[in-house]
Amino acid sequence: MDELEFRRRIYANPADDDDALYTAAQSDADNEAFWKDIKSLDDKLRNAANVPVPDDLANKLILNTSLVEFNQHKRRNRWYIGLAASVAFTCGIALTAWQQQHTELDQAALTHMYYAEHEQPVGNARITPQLVNAKLAQFGAELDPSIGKIASINYCLLDTIRSLHMIIETPQGRMSVFLVPDNSQVAPNEFSDPVYKGTSYALQKTNVLVIGEKSADLPAFTSQLQQRLKLST
Amino acid sequence: MMKEKTLRYEALVRALHSDIYRYAYWLTNDKSTAEDIVQETFLRAWRALDSLQDEKAAKSWLITILRRENARRFERKQFDLVDVEDVSVSGSDDQDSHAEVRQVRKAMSKLAPDYREPLMLQIIFGFSGDEIAQQLELNKNTVMTRLFRARSQLKEVLSPPALQRGFQSG
Repeated sequence: MDELEFRRRIYANPADDDDALYTAAQSDADNEAFWKDIKSLDDKLRNAANVPVPDDLANKLILNTSLVEFNQHKRRNRWYIGLAASVAFTCGIALTAWQQQHTELDQAALTHMYYAEHEQPVGNARITPQLVNAKLAQFGAELDPSIGKIASINYCLLDTIRSLHMIIETPQGRMSVFLVPDNSQVAPNEFSDPVYKGTSYALQKTNVLVIGEKSADLPAFTSQLQQRLKLST
Repeated sequence: MMKEKTLRYEALVRALHSDIYRYAYWLTNDKSTAEDIVQETFLRAWRALDSLQDEKAAKSWLITILRRENARRFERKQFDLVDVEDVSVSGSDDQDSHAEVRQVRKAMSKLAPDYREPLMLQIIFGFSGDEIAQQLELNKNTVMTRLFRARSQLKEVLSPPALQRGFQSG
């Protein structure tokens, strides 16, 4: 093998272990030195080619693939989600219709009591008799402020009916008064659950529900309310 | 079935992502472009994973996908005003490395891509002349000539100036 051929082959692959190359290196010191030289160059190339890999690249790649696939999967299944949503919507309507027939007003009011326990007056706005009567006016009623301190007055939905909920601090205890402007739904005169008890009466077309804790003197408060909560003239 | 595919995929990523990234780096001369096309490569690999029958073929399969992604990038770049070759030069963001390593990287980044690519298949993946020929769809003589030229050019650029002078005057 001549020197040019030897060099070409070593340049092309310094790790070539062909016997002909070994023979050529053994018979010529220049060839041997050249091979050694190119092997050391190759070590440098190999070392330099080993550029640092970004931190945590493997996990990034796996995450990226799973995210892209997940999103595609989601898109592919969107018609299905649409169908599911419309089924849910239909069920919602049916359930509401069913509830309108079956849910009792008193049960709705009692359920609301547990939400209302956590319902603090928003922003500490002062509840004046004017504010109370402005809200009551929408229900065709007005209230004598001497009934007690109005702790809160809020609209709420009782069994899908927009109602008014007042919490009043009285000597008989903390009382809740609900005005439900629909007398087609009748609440029983007396009702209770493990924590609260309640009573109701009709103020013309409006149902009035009074709910207090088990220990509260409900009849005394209700009779005061009947005198002080009047239809507005 | 899905779980098995996931495990297979994660094993593939962990075993080969470093070398594939390095190869992408030398293909593009740019860290973030390399990361982008590696991401695209492994995403395509996931989608086509069922077609990979032989785990031994995984390396060359991924390299094929990667090279295709890189070619796509060039097609897209034709519509842009930025010249790809100007985006970044290897070594410029390589402050941690030893000066000599930086110098070698710079020299490698300046090699013509036709020379650099077979060289990287050889030194990163340990491919033989035949394997490189197959991967790049070239005949083996062409590959060996390019490898010879790649190393002889690097040798010339990287030889200490004193020695070159000595060689020239002697």
